[in-house]
Amino acid sequence: MYLIKAVVRPEKRDEVLYELTSAGFNAATVVDVVGRGKQKGIKIGNIVYDEIPKVMIIMAVQETDKDDIISVIMRSAKTSEKGAFGDGKIFVSPLEEAYTVSSGAKEL
Amino acid sequence: MKEIIAVVRMNKTNATKKALIDSGAAGFTALKVMGRGRLVEDKSLIATRKANMMEMALGEDTREAEALIDGFLDGQRLIPRRMFHIIAKDAEVQPIIAAIMGANRTDNKVGDGKIFVLPIADVVRVRTAERGETAL
Repeated sequence: MYLIKAVVRPEKRDEVLYELTSAGFNAATVVDVVGRGKQKGIKIGNIVYDEIPKVMIIMAVQETDKDDIISVIMRSAKTSEKGAFGDGKIFVSPLEEAYTVSSGAKEL
Repeated sequence: MKEIIAVVRMNKTNATKKALIDSGAAGFTALKVMGRGRLVEDKSLIATRKANMMEMALGEDTREAEALIDGFLDGQRLIPRRMFHIIAKDAEVQPIIAAIMGANRTDNKVGDGKIFVLPIADVVRVRTAERGETAL
């Protein structure tokens, strides 16, 4: 199993979540975050904005679904065909165990 | 060392905090998050609660009320949840998971939350620069 953390633009949140549901992956946790990337923020005039608001979508997924989910996020979070700075990042880390509280089952 | 990420109901925050102290892991980081789970495909799981909510909606447009209640219960909507991050030694992981499950189990059949366990490569205590398990 893997834990996918995707950082996307706030205005793309609903679109990404809708596309994930349509593709059959409903479960997700959503957090509002601020951050900056390789571009060191945005400079507008003399002011540097280096705490840019983003949305982090956290999903626990099976190994077989991982690539599908990444491609859905990749496709729906882009602002144009080529993509642009600030469209986000996707991080994938190993997940050893997952439990469902209501049933007590050791599964997703 | 392992990182335990638990997503629980907002109103179970205090019960979870108490359970963590009882299980010997007092330290944690908590966030307010929005989340949703798997789509509820077996509608019988939410039938009782739906009936209760429909009763409260008496006098309103039934179809509109039903659509709203379905939206709340079937899992498509984002719902506020509390996310706990706990770093623990390997041997402490199972007792902590048992404590969180014990504190958060309800009769609602869906929506009690999830617990994830991830490996942690290293921990550093900023004050003393200790590394590894002694820094916990």
